[in-house]
Amino acid sequence: MPDLVYEKMLQKCVKGELRMVNAGLPRCRKTLSSLLGEEYPHVLCCDGSAHSFKMKELEYLANITSIDEQEVLLLPILIELAEDPAGAVIICEHKVEEHVISEVLNMPMVTVGGKLRIYRPQLVLLRKVLKTTTQYVFSSKIVV
Amino acid sequence: MPQQLIKVRPTKIELVKLKRRLSLAQRVQKIVKDRLSILTMEFLETARETMEAKEKLIGSFSEGYKALSLASGYHGYMALDKELIASEVDPKVIAGLRNIAGVRIPSFELRNNGKIMKGYSLVDTSSWLDYAAQLSKKCLEAIVELAELQKSLELLGIEINRAKRVTNALEYIIIPGLQVTINYLNMKFEERDREEKTRLKRVKMLIA
Repeated sequence: MPDLVYEKMLQKCVKGELRMVNAGLPRCRKTLSSLLGEEYPHVLCCDGSAHSFKMKELEYLANITSIDEQEVLLLPILIELAEDPAGAVIICEHKVEEHVISEVLNMPMVTVGGKLRIYRPQLVLLRKVLKTTTQYVFSSKIVV
Repeated sequence: MPQQLIKVRPTKIELVKLKRRLSLAQRVQKIVKDRLSILTMEFLETARETMEAKEKLIGSFSEGYKALSLASGYHGYMALDKELIASEVDPKVIAGLRNIAGVRIPSFELRNNGKIMKGYSLVDTSSWLDYAAQLSKKCLEAIVELAELQKSLELLGIEINRAKRVTNALEYIIIPGLQVTINYLNMKFEERDREEKTRLKRVKMLIA
C-alpha cells in the first residue's frame, strides 16, 4: 500500500512538472508597434498570468528595426530548447527575427526552415540583452 | 545502492506498462534536466549582474554623497534645504512579472514622469547641485535594479533546489527501480519458459 501511494505521488509530481514548464507561454503574441503604444506593455500567458515587457527593451528593439519591421515583429521571441543540449532554436516567423538576433549578437545569422540555431554562449548574450522580450519553450518533441 | 523492486504481478501486461512508464520517466528526466540547465544558466547570469549592480550602487552612492556634501558646502545647509524641498518628486516604479522556464520573477522599471525641470531654481543654485541631483537619480535606478535582481536570484535558487530534487529522484530512484523491475520480470519469464521446456521434456520421456 505505501508503494502505491509513493508511486501516485511521484506521478503527480511528474505531471505537475510537465504542466509547469510551458505554463508561462503567451496565449497570443503582440507586435512591437502595438506594445510600444501600451502604457504597461504585457501579454497574457497560458496559465492566466501576465508577462510584462520592459520599456527599455522595447525601445532598444524599436531602434534596431524599421517601422515596417515593427509591425510584424511578434513578441516575446520564442526560444525552443532543442534535443541537442549544446544549443537552442529561435522560432522565426518572419525575416525580422533573424535581423534582430544578428543585430543583438553582432554577427550574421541564417534561418533554416523558419528556425534559427544558436549555441549556449550566444543564448546567454541574447538573454542578457533581451530579458523580457524572449521566452523559453520546451520542445514538443520531447514533451509527451 | 541496491534498487527496490516495484511490487507488481509478474504478467506480460505489467511488463508492457512498466516499459511505458520507463520511457515516460526518461522523457521527463530530459525535460527536467534541460530546465535545470536553463535555470542554472540564468542563476549564474543573475548572480553576475547582481554583483555588478551592487558595485554600481555603492559607487553611485559614494559619489552622490560627495557631490551633495560639496553642494551643501557651497550653498550652506539652509539654502540647500530650501531648494531641495521644492524638487521632491514621487518616483514611478512599474512592477510586473516575467516567466523564466516556469519561474515567475518580478520585473521592476523606474519611469520618469516626463518632468524635465528639476524643481529647484537654476538661478540660485550651482552646477554642484545639478551633479548631485543627477547622481541621486542614478542611485534610485540602481536600487530598483538591485531589488529586482536580488529577488530573482532568491526565486531562481529555490527553483533550482526543487528541480534538482526531482532530477535526483528520477535519476537515482524511479528510473533504476523501473529498470530493475523490468529485468526481474524478464528473468522471471525466461525462467518460466525454461521450466515449461523441462516439464515438456520430462513428460515426453515418461510417455516414451
